[in-house]
Amino acid sequence: MNNYKLNTDKQISLQSVGQTSKEYKIHPKTGSVWNKFRLPMSRRHWLKWRTHYNKKNLTKARRLEDKRPLWWFLCLIPLGFSLPWLSNFALSAVAIFCIYASINLLWSLTLGTAGIFSLATMAVVGVSGYVAAAANVYLGIPWPFMFAIGTIAGLIFGGFLALPSSRLDGLYYALLTLGLAEICRVFISQIRALTPTNGSINGVSSFIPEEWYLQRPGLLLGAITALVLLLLSLLIYRLVNGETLGRQLQVAREDEEFAEAIGINYHSARIKVFLISCAGLGFIGAFYAMYFRSISVGVFSLDQLMLLFAMIVIGGTERAEGAVLGTAIVILIDRGLFELGPMRIVIIAVVMILVTTYASNGITGIRQQFRNFRHRFQTQKRSLITTKGGEVMPEEAIDINDKQQIYSRRFDFRLRNHLKTLVTDDVIAEHKAKPLGQHSDALSRLLNYFRRTDVLDKYAIEQIGSLKEAKYKILAFTGIPGKPPRVVDERIYNSKNDAYHAVFLMRINDLLES
Amino acid sequence: MDISLIIYALNLAAIYSLMAIGISLLWSSVGMINMAHGATFVVSGYSTLVASSWIVPIIKASLAGTAFYTPVLVLSMTTVALLSGAIFGAIIYLIAFLPLHDKPNFAIRSLIATLAINIATVQLFLWWFGPRQKALPKLFGFGRIDFLEFSIRYDQAATIVGTLLLVGSMLLWFRNSRLGLEIRAMMQNPEGAALSGISIRKKALPVMMLTGSLAGMAAILLSQTSFLSPTAGALPLIKGLTIALLGGLGSIGGAMLGALLIGILEVITGEIPFLGQRYVLLIQFIFIVMVLIVRPRGLGGLLDETRK
Repeated sequence: MNNYKLNTDKQISLQSVGQTSKEYKIHPKTGSVWNKFRLPMSRRHWLKWRTHYNKKNLTKARRLEDKRPLWWFLCLIPLGFSLPWLSNFALSAVAIFCIYASINLLWSLTLGTAGIFSLATMAVVGVSGYVAAAANVYLGIPWPFMFAIGTIAGLIFGGFLALPSSRLDGLYYALLTLGLAEICRVFISQIRALTPTNGSINGVSSFIPEEWYLQRPGLLLGAITALVLLLLSLLIYRLVNGETLGRQLQVAREDEEFAEAIGINYHSARIKVFLISCAGLGFIGAFYAMYFRSISVGVFSLDQLMLLFAMIVIGGTERAEGAVLGTAIVILIDRGLFELGPMRIVIIAVVMILVTTYASNGITGIRQQFRNFRHRFQTQKRSLITTKGGEVMPEEAIDINDKQQIYSRRFDFRLRNHLKTLVTDDVIAEHKAKPLGQHSDALSRLLNYFRRTDVLDKYAIEQIGSLKEAKYKILAFTGIPGKPPRVVDERIYNSKNDAYHAVFLMRINDLLES
Repeated sequence: MDISLIIYALNLAAIYSLMAIGISLLWSSVGMINMAHGATFVVSGYSTLVASSWIVPIIKASLAGTAFYTPVLVLSMTTVALLSGAIFGAIIYLIAFLPLHDKPNFAIRSLIATLAINIATVQLFLWWFGPRQKALPKLFGFGRIDFLEFSIRYDQAATIVGTLLLVGSMLLWFRNSRLGLEIRAMMQNPEGAALSGISIRKKALPVMMLTGSLAGMAAILLSQTSFLSPTAGALPLIKGLTIALLGGLGSIGGAMLGALLIGILEVITGEIPFLGQRYVLLIQFIFIVMVLIVRPRGLGGLLDETRK
């Protein structure tokens, strides 16, 4: 039982049915003004509070429509605060998680938002990491500029990758880009200048001071900066996916012709999102090189790409939660079961197969998938019902907002079925003999039912001529205000009782036909 | 150009076309990109390796020195490779096709599932056999055939002839058998085939076994010139995929033409002094991208509408 405060401050109790009553709600006083804070430089609010009025008791309640910010807060803030107490191994795992989650977030911008099935992610990360590292090591550019160099390298590389993406569709592009990482690996490992180090660039200077590297403070600093990187990626994801570009592409995903018709150039939007994603991946590439203070051709390996792909597939490509959750699961298996050796990759593959077999869009898509399933199941169950449960067909029932109507119509149906059994020759004869006055139980039940139905079903008796030699005619109500009753037939009745009985017979007829 | 280079190019083309035809055939008839094709390659290679350690001594003991030695060896090893490839194809069918084929977004989901099979198989083999490279016994012996003025190594000749025989017999089987007719119908128009009573659910099994055995054949042929390791399947897979793309997914002729072009390109790039071996993949990739920009559906790609 929940006690809702009514506007009149009178307590009324409601039965708690369903989950709505368990939800946290704010019950503001009537007429109170709520100052909602807005994000600076925009018209957006921090949280999506929405006011509803309860239909039954008209109480005002505010509930949080979008709870995702809370979940993000609950997950990331404890992670951030627990960093100083984590072991060295866990710290490096957190940093790796944050880096991979950032890569996956930007990748899911390409896969989910832009709808470009690109597998060139690690190639972009690796190439820009190499460019940034080479600029630092061979040209002596200080590390803060590496971020810019990596971003620009990612952008340029992304520009080249975007060229065939408009011509090729879907899987063709995926297969084309799959080989790209391998090509980069072979190409870089055969550069002569890098042969002594087996293709890797070492000694990259970094935001982690050299004497801290692989020490406790260095790991802590690495984990914190990686967490900041993750937050930045989340911000980019939000800004791209939730604002103009993302909305335009969402329309294009639903219906491309419609999007084009209302003036959305979804081709250019797609390319823009792809380029933003590639530039972000370039930034992460530079970060990657700095975090490890070196970069090797291992970044291009097919296994690495497949591991990342496993993360994004397990989590689901459509949402930011999917990218991060998938990364968390895979990193937990990968780092948590370290002593299992290669078998943990097998476990990841098995999870991947299970998720793809049973979930159509990763773990974060399960909720929607279950809802769709339940909806389909309910619809099927409803369509199996062949009896007309009181004038309301099941398909019709979901469109009727006031469910009370359905029940009243169902009751009416049962009542009429019962009344039909009461109609006998005896009852009609009784009514003919005495239309007014004391009746038997069956007849009075019938008459009571007739009297309390809607005006639409009723008939009227019109008197023709003077009171002394009155004749009677039967009219039917139209049910529309202002529209006069229509004549049913031209039959004239001599006495009022005859007319009463004729109306009774008509009503009986209507009842039996319904 | 040296004539031996042409032979080498043909040799490469033969192996690539085996991989590419498998991928292409499966995509056009079943609608699934088999990323586990590399795993099939590795599985067949290793099963041949394991089988050879049992069979080769027996054959050596009974037939060494006779004229039957090489044919029996080749025949038994090829049978093992083809069979193991077919069995692994059936396993892929059970894991990645059967539970998924009637679900939405089948193309991408089966791609993911086969990718997972690929990862799992490679890791299992790494765990069981270790990362060391192994060599398959030389089936065709060492030596050269002198034909007119060319000189062809035995294994190269066997690769080219074997591939031609296998693909030729496959095409003949497609043309003349009932099952082949049904598979061709599935390739042309899957919906039409389904409407005329051809069950893709049932017919996918022989197709997957067939493509698996093609990968098995590629495995023993390639292992004559290079080593076998658990990760050896990645490069043939990528090559096969890109060639299948170049040839147009679904076109067997396109895949063979693509393999030939890529083989020739590889040999030429390797020979040009200022390019050399390291630019082979890059040049191939640029070539494929250029062809695909001009013809987005590949060289023989006709399958625009049917496979959507």
